[in-house]
Amino acid sequence: MSLSSKSAQEISELLDEYGIKHGPVVDSTRSLYEKKLKEAMAKEKRAKPSPDKTYYREEEQVTYVYKTPVRSDSSGDSGAYMRARPEWAEREYEHETSNSRYSRSRPEYKGRDFVDEPYMYDSPDTYKHSYLKSAAPMKSSESAPKAAKSSPLIPLWVQFVFFLAMAVFLYLVFTNMETNESLKGIE
Amino acid sequence: MSSTSQKHKDFVAEPMGEKTVMALAGIGEVLGKRLEEKGFDKAYVVLGQFLVLKKDEELFRDWLKDTCGANVKQQGDCYGCLKEWCDAFL
Repeated sequence: MSLSSKSAQEISELLDEYGIKHGPVVDSTRSLYEKKLKEAMAKEKRAKPSPDKTYYREEEQVTYVYKTPVRSDSSGDSGAYMRARPEWAEREYEHETSNSRYSRSRPEYKGRDFVDEPYMYDSPDTYKHSYLKSAAPMKSSESAPKAAKSSPLIPLWVQFVFFLAMAVFLYLVFTNMETNESLKGIE
Repeated sequence: MSSTSQKHKDFVAEPMGEKTVMALAGIGEVLGKRLEEKGFDKAYVVLGQFLVLKKDEELFRDWLKDTCGANVKQQGDCYGCLKEWCDAFL
């Protein structure tokens, strides 16, 4: 299949088939479009015999966690990307084991909330401070054992946990700000 | 607001007329020579190519890379320059 022997109309139709956005096929644009078609055809040929294993990873976590480290070593740039994937698969596996730990820490969290309530109305600042104090060791203790297990790169789920904690904190701060008017101990 | 070079500002400020291809942002002596060899000896010819490629960024960048070997920054500068000129005058 030689692209250069095809008519401009045929080139245009082929570009549409591959979903390549294009303008008119004229002398000055022809070589560019031929090159794009060649790349698209080569990509299709490569894609067919070896399907991307990353799509299957979610289904078969256990088996591919062991295979991918071998695979990522061979490739260059994509290795960094693929290295992040087994971590992701690993954390799904780990998440189930760490879930019990997580749920256990939650009641502690709630307990402290109730304890701090009487202090809440004195001033928002002290509450924030006590909240921070309770939150900080919580976060560090939570992240420490989890970080020890994970690789040097911070896994995505730790970031999500942190983000959620920040969101909860901000929400509580915001709701407390509404009760400002009822506070008497500002002076 | 992205930072644009003086060359860009000068080009975009007025109709291009008979300006040489080296007046385009991102196109210097070397790239300009290569474009001229391929027949793109005036800025408006490159404009013509830009328009034939439907002002599409990716297509224009690829074309520029293939034609004169422009790097990513040069491609971006030239594209931005022509795009802004078209927005103002076309």
